[in-house]
Amino acid sequence: MKKLIYLILLGFLISSSFAQKKISKLHSKQNLECSTCHACEIPTKTNPCLALCPREKGNVTAHKVGDAPEVFEINNIQGEKDIYGSVNFLHKAHAEMSEMGEGCTACHHYNPPGEIVKCSNCHETDRNKVDIQMPDLKSAYHRQCMDCHSKWEEESKCENCHTLNDNYKSAISPTEIVKVYKLVEHPATKVYETGECKRGKVATFHHNDHIELFGLECVDCHQDESCQSCHNQKLDFKKTVDGSNHSRCVSCHDTENKNQCAKCHTDKETKPFNHFANTGFDINKYHSKNTCNSCHTKKGSYKGLNSQCQSCHTWDEENFNHTITGLKLDENHIDNSCSDCHEDEDGNLSYKKPLCTNCHDEDEGFVVPKNLPGKKVK
Amino acid sequence: MSQNRRDFLKTFAAIGTTAATLTAVSPKVAKASSRGELSVDRNGVLVDTTTCIGCGKCEWACKTAHHIEPGNIEDYSTKLTDGSQRRPSEDALTVVNQIDKSVMNSDKVKLQCMHCDHPACVSACIVGAIKKQENGAVTWDTDVCIGCRYCMIACPFQIPAFEYHKALDPKIAKCDFCYDRTQEGKLPACAEICPVGALTYGTREELVIEAKRRIEKNPEKYHDHVFGEHEVGGTSWLYLAENSLVETVFPKLGTNPAPGVSESIQHGLFAYFVPPVALYALLGGVMWLSKTKENEGGH
Amino acid sequence: MEHAFKPEQITKKYFTPWVIVLAAIAINGLVFLAMRFFFGIGSVTNLNNQFPWGIWIAIDVGAGVALAAGGFTTAALGHIMHRDKYEAIIRPALLTAMLGYTFVAMGVFVDLGRWYYIWHPLVMWNGNSALFEVGICVMIYVSVLYIEFLPIVTERFIGRVNLPGLFKRFNLLVDGLLRKLERGLDKTMFIFIIAGVVLSCLHQSSLGTLMVIAGPKIHPLWQTPVLPLLFLLSAISVGFPMVIMESITASKSFGLKPETDVLSSLSKFVAPLLGIYLAAKIGDMFIRETFVYLYEFNTTTVLFAIELVVGVIIPLRMFLSEAVRNSVTGLYVASMLVIFGVVMNRFNNFITAYNPPYATEAYFPSIGEISVTIGFVALEILIYRLFVKIFPIISLPIRNFGTKAKYAIRGGLK
Repeated sequence: MKKLIYLILLGFLISSSFAQKKISKLHSKQNLECSTCHACEIPTKTNPCLALCPREKGNVTAHKVGDAPEVFEINNIQGEKDIYGSVNFLHKAHAEMSEMGEGCTACHHYNPPGEIVKCSNCHETDRNKVDIQMPDLKSAYHRQCMDCHSKWEEESKCENCHTLNDNYKSAISPTEIVKVYKLVEHPATKVYETGECKRGKVATFHHNDHIELFGLECVDCHQDESCQSCHNQKLDFKKTVDGSNHSRCVSCHDTENKNQCAKCHTDKETKPFNHFANTGFDINKYHSKNTCNSCHTKKGSYKGLNSQCQSCHTWDEENFNHTITGLKLDENHIDNSCSDCHEDEDGNLSYKKPLCTNCHDEDEGFVVPKNLPGKKVK
Repeated sequence: MSQNRRDFLKTFAAIGTTAATLTAVSPKVAKASSRGELSVDRNGVLVDTTTCIGCGKCEWACKTAHHIEPGNIEDYSTKLTDGSQRRPSEDALTVVNQIDKSVMNSDKVKLQCMHCDHPACVSACIVGAIKKQENGAVTWDTDVCIGCRYCMIACPFQIPAFEYHKALDPKIAKCDFCYDRTQEGKLPACAEICPVGALTYGTREELVIEAKRRIEKNPEKYHDHVFGEHEVGGTSWLYLAENSLVETVFPKLGTNPAPGVSESIQHGLFAYFVPPVALYALLGGVMWLSKTKENEGGH
Repeated sequence: MEHAFKPEQITKKYFTPWVIVLAAIAINGLVFLAMRFFFGIGSVTNLNNQFPWGIWIAIDVGAGVALAAGGFTTAALGHIMHRDKYEAIIRPALLTAMLGYTFVAMGVFVDLGRWYYIWHPLVMWNGNSALFEVGICVMIYVSVLYIEFLPIVTERFIGRVNLPGLFKRFNLLVDGLLRKLERGLDKTMFIFIIAGVVLSCLHQSSLGTLMVIAGPKIHPLWQTPVLPLLFLLSAISVGFPMVIMESITASKSFGLKPETDVLSSLSKFVAPLLGIYLAAKIGDMFIRETFVYLYEFNTTTVLFAIELVVGVIIPLRMFLSEAVRNSVTGLYVASMLVIFGVVMNRFNNFITAYNPPYATEAYFPSIGEISVTIGFVALEILIYRLFVKIFPIISLPIRNFGTKAKYAIRGGLK
């Protein structure tokens, strides 16, 4: 029996020291200053003398934002009075937003390589503690939240995140959590005045186009943002744009090429991008869900393309499904070949809407049917 | 005045003896000074106004701990938004104000008794109802107070409040540093509930060090001054803030203990009862001399 | 000359139209007083957490104590320095002091939030507190004043004890006790007289120390470490003008000839005393360089100027003039000005100068406060009038010069 215990203990010892070694190996490989995390010159295993609250960017290598846990239930702090219920923290939503700013380290400020360090690893739950330098767990949590939230929420209403427990509820207490966030509104169009330039007094930026038409994600343009630059609706967004005005555009537009200036810098406010008006090719009907790059495959080049379907689509008689045009052909027409209907006067294929009279010739004694050759679908 | 001179002398001697006895006794009386020994371990609270979010939970907890009807807990966060600069009162021993309402995220300052190291109220109190406790708290004793409100005159921070509208048993109301709670080893109610830990409870000595550490670490975040470290001889409650709190929140005060001058005068006038006894002797002398003259004139 | 005057009971009718007016004022005050006891201080006064002390302290107590200084100054002059010439004014001054201090005590009692604990300072001491010193001295001094008054009571009743009904049989016994008391008092009275003067000096000055602890809350024109000295000096200088004013008022009221002779020689002391006070005040102002505040023009500085010019400098000049000292009107006006000056000074010290750091609006006494304060003054005058009818206080010229009639005179003037 004794032997068994010893054996188990030994096993523990070995495995733990092995684990330690593994991490410390990772340590040394990282490009980190020792003083970032350690307060003393020579940290040892027993006395790592971890620095208090290192705020330098840690190193979260554990996972990508996409893998972040969805929700955390925070219920491990309790004051003297049990006023509020537990809090469901939308972890993933915050992680995604933080991509536009500081990233995970905005909250996970202390994270040496390895596993993600829990707040409670360092921050004590008991407030009545000896060490007064490090905030306790409750304070740490609240500070992480409120450091940002207080920047745009005018009132620090606890009920924004917490639900009151029954014995503290009043008649006016809301039954559910009030939404913490207001829907972030973005401008449809923004006109920047570029006073210094000789030509092109204004630069019109169509925000809507970029999201809806060009299908960009927020993070594609918005980097190094603070929470309040989007959430604080009172702030004029212009103020949050940094000095180098092209910084947000440069990821897609070539701002160095002088020939390109006039594309944005004009004398008058420009209209939003309209594919039909600008190129004559209407994409609203069939191609509205496409991103620019799905047709304009050559990066950075948006030259005119051949408007023939076949130039992009590899359709033939066999694999074309007529339904995508909005007309599901009925039994009588489904087996026709394309050219049976779509043929212009010169006998060439043309995929414009055909006339029924092309086939059903009244003069030849046929009755022109009143119905469509199939069923309209959406 | 029909007594003769021997009588006069006899009585005078008796008075002299009484005075001497009083003189001998007086050091004991004079020792009951507010500048008595201060405990090194006395506690305090460091208020970091840059951390405070103005949720008002401390106000709620304070009322609950002091049996003042707290009302609805959800209403507290809105109290800041009306922009008024409230004062601690008999209905709220502590209040949180936002200094500058026009700046959205500006510092919020919690106000309550500062628990001075040399409290003017303790020195002033006619019956000694206010005491500086060993743990730093300045407390008030219901059973002793006569309601003269001299403490309110004396307090440099204008903190003590009075229940003017009670005919019987009106009380002086001020923060007592949750003396009962701290005696049980609990934290003061406000420091216990503060969600962001803007109130740090600890020994005053440690807190001063911690405050300076924070300033050193974040010099652009803090105004380089720990309010309360030296003001009126030091207070148990210490404040860190982004801007100077003097004249926006607190009056401009020197570093001398508030009761200093008053006590020196008082002790000067009554130094071991010498001046009063001397005056008595002098007047007695004058009376005796003028009487002698009169007697001589009469014979 | 020495025996030309003798204190006697006044036999004039008590009720006159003026007395009735005073009684109405007093009753009005008492009504508000009742409200204070039933509904709390807040219901009657304008006091709040910023202004904890109002005119009940500033005027009833602060000015009250100062104006009762006539008692100890005349006692010092008459008894300690044995200027027998002034014997005639000692009794009225004593009565004023006694009533004055009684009403000071009343004022404190009314102003105390927990009035039922007024006895606490007797057993619970705080030697650091200026207020404790004031309180304890006033308590002792009031007792001393009552003891000093006792000989007048014995004089009034010895040989004339006449108890009603069943108690008749004790007449002799009470008479005997009174005689014994008189003998005892006669032997020990000088102890009380000296004690009275010492106690007065102590608490008059400590009254000045009261506001020192308020530090920067008091306007620098008044806030000075020598406040106790200024209070003592002003109290001493207002003592004689108070006696003069009172004596002239009483004479007029009872249709007697004012004792111009005694009063004008008494008034010789006033100018030097006022001069010392003025010198101390101005000197302090220059040493602390507070005169810079006088360049500002606001309520505070105007009140300071009034206090100093109308209340000290003008009467000082008046008392220096022999013509003023020899005319009843001149004496009366000059004395009134000194009294006004001291009342003003106490009011300024406790109210005008007091600027609490967070006050949103200035303090102004409420109708209730004013009613009670004026009511107390009216009541004091009424009781004074009653006392001079019951006890031999006011000295009257003796008609049958030479007749020894210590206990025999009844009535006096008819």
